[in-house]
Amino acid sequence: MEEIGKRRLAAAAIALAGIAYFFACARPLPKTLVLAPGWARALPAAALSAAPAAAPSGAAAPMVIDDRSVATLETKAGPGSTGFDKGASGFPYALAGRYGYFDAQGLIASADAAPFGLAQSKGAYIAYDRLPESLSLRSAGGAELARITEPGYPFFAAGRLFLLRPGQASVAEIGPDGAALWSRDFPSIVTAFDASEELALFGLMDGSLVGVGPKGAELLSFSPGGSRIAGIYGCAVSPDGEMVAAVSGLDRQRLVVLERRSAAYRVTYHRWLESDYRRPVAMAFTGDGSYLAYESPTGLGLYDRAARREASLSAARLASVGEYLADRGLLLLLEGGGAEKGVLIASPAGRRLFTAPFTASEAFVSRSGDAVFLGIAEGGGAASILRMDLKEE
Amino acid sequence: MRHDARSGRAAARLALVLAGLASAGLASALEWPLDAARPPATFGTPARGRFVAGIALASDAALVRAAGEGELVYFRDDPGAATRLPSTLGSFAVVEHERGLAGVYAGLAPGSVSSYLGKVKGGQILGAAGASGWTEGAGLFFSLYDRGAARWVNPYLLLPRLKDVTPPNIRSAALVREGKSYVLGETKSVRQGGYAIAVDIADPLDAPWSAGAPAPFYVRLVVDGAKIAELRYDIAEGRKGSLFLFPEAPRSREAYLAPDGRAILAERTFTRGRSTIEILVRDFAGNERAATWVVGVE
Repeated sequence: MEEIGKRRLAAAAIALAGIAYFFACARPLPKTLVLAPGWARALPAAALSAAPAAAPSGAAAPMVIDDRSVATLETKAGPGSTGFDKGASGFPYALAGRYGYFDAQGLIASADAAPFGLAQSKGAYIAYDRLPESLSLRSAGGAELARITEPGYPFFAAGRLFLLRPGQASVAEIGPDGAALWSRDFPSIVTAFDASEELALFGLMDGSLVGVGPKGAELLSFSPGGSRIAGIYGCAVSPDGEMVAAVSGLDRQRLVVLERRSAAYRVTYHRWLESDYRRPVAMAFTGDGSYLAYESPTGLGLYDRAARREASLSAARLASVGEYLADRGLLLLLEGGGAEKGVLIASPAGRRLFTAPFTASEAFVSRSGDAVFLGIAEGGGAASILRMDLKEE
Repeated sequence: MRHDARSGRAAARLALVLAGLASAGLASALEWPLDAARPPATFGTPARGRFVAGIALASDAALVRAAGEGELVYFRDDPGAATRLPSTLGSFAVVEHERGLAGVYAGLAPGSVSSYLGKVKGGQILGAAGASGWTEGAGLFFSLYDRGAARWVNPYLLLPRLKDVTPPNIRSAALVREGKSYVLGETKSVRQGGYAIAVDIADPLDAPWSAGAPAPFYVRLVVDGAKIAELRYDIAEGRKGSLFLFPEAPRSREAYLAPDGRAILAERTFTRGRSTIEILVRDFAGNERAATWVVGVE
């Protein structure tokens, strides 16, 4: 009997210890990152056939799909911060021969047939023909803001509007009234471009990088050199304008990173690359400027600005260099060159954390906070925009 | 003086490039990249307030061939290219020919660029003639960039000469002051003072493209027996953010082209009396045309 009592006592003690351990020392299971489905909206096919604007010079207003959303686009303060994007809250899309804007709640504000060319930012757009007599600059809601009479093709970057003139060797920045703020002829054709609020960076076929300030002053002139054939194949400028980077030259190709030290930019990092790109190379700084992402033959090269070291991310051909989820420290990418595509979430150290494969003839990905928007064209003109929310489970 | 020294170096450099190309066994250095080419716009042709730094070629031939041996160093042939930069050159290829001279073959048919090429033989197919980018009419826009000297070279200097026996036309010449134009031949007298001498000149290789008529190769302006301007359409170079024609006497686009597209040959102050204005124009084949006007100055 005494023996049995001891055993019961020991069993009770073990049970108590287990309970105590459960409450005192337990750790939660690691959370998994998932993209939870939100809404899905089909782009209206009727808008495509009824659209008026493929009209020359994009002179006609876009077809309005949802008036409420247009009003939202015009008035609500949102993520856009500067220039033409100031106060803009909508998200631009261009998919399956259509373009327009949608909002975070899934209202498709407009859907118009895409003409020859389209320059689009969060707050404004220009749809244009191959040889436009003039360009109609419109707000995201479709109101004409100005007309640009200079010849050339427009493009937006960092809330700023630029015009590339015929010949590919001359650029102007365009103000809200449609007039040139500054203009510059380059000694060679422009092969690469990026901009921040303070710096417009141009890469030239002759192998030089030229940085131009908001008033047209030359802030940077640098030729990476070192390769048998000079050339700039891709370039990027950090959002604060403090760093610039380029993929330059052939035989061998080279990554060069420069940082601003007082008034001048100086090389702080360079590496010979295995690549031999003879076409534009995708590269961009992340939204907070912490990392530089650039296209590589095996996926993505990632340069850590603070640590001044690189990592690489293995991926199928990248359809976009992607967005940076700054508060989570993660990269959001779209991979896949053919019909098999996928949304990829990865760490800047090069670890693949989440993939969502899908089939599409054309796709885009964008995000706002933890909301991820995926546009998918499925062929035959059918296209949808989906919202997913990034969650930990 | 700086201009003189610079232009001397420029001429020497160009002579070196041309001599080098010729000595490389290339009789005319390069071959026409498009068969049966008709150039509706040439080096220096005004086009909506700018001048063309190459030649536009209209042709029924479908294939664009490398003008010489070289290496494909850059191409762009994808509307969704990995850059937000549009392409006013449309689909294009850049081939580095001899001695740092890069040929830019632009306006190709989308999707036709032979992007797989590395080393390129003369005559090798680079793509199909098209109408992509800012080109008016189907064909090819061809330009030559001297990478060593950072300048555009008139392709006529290195291509076989076209058969051409027709001299260029001087469509009109005028004295321009404060936006008012006094057409020579119609105006008997003007007030004394400073005038710009503007001309509209074209080589009569007519084509349906609206970029403008081909430019001449040489223009000389003589006023009252003194040579005022001598312009050769051979080189254009970017300096300090502007593109300059005529390195021997550099003229920026703004200084050379009037808003209506006429070429401003010179600024000149006319004093009381009679002035004789002579203009000589020559095309690349050597055909010349000259015109003389006498105007009274009050």
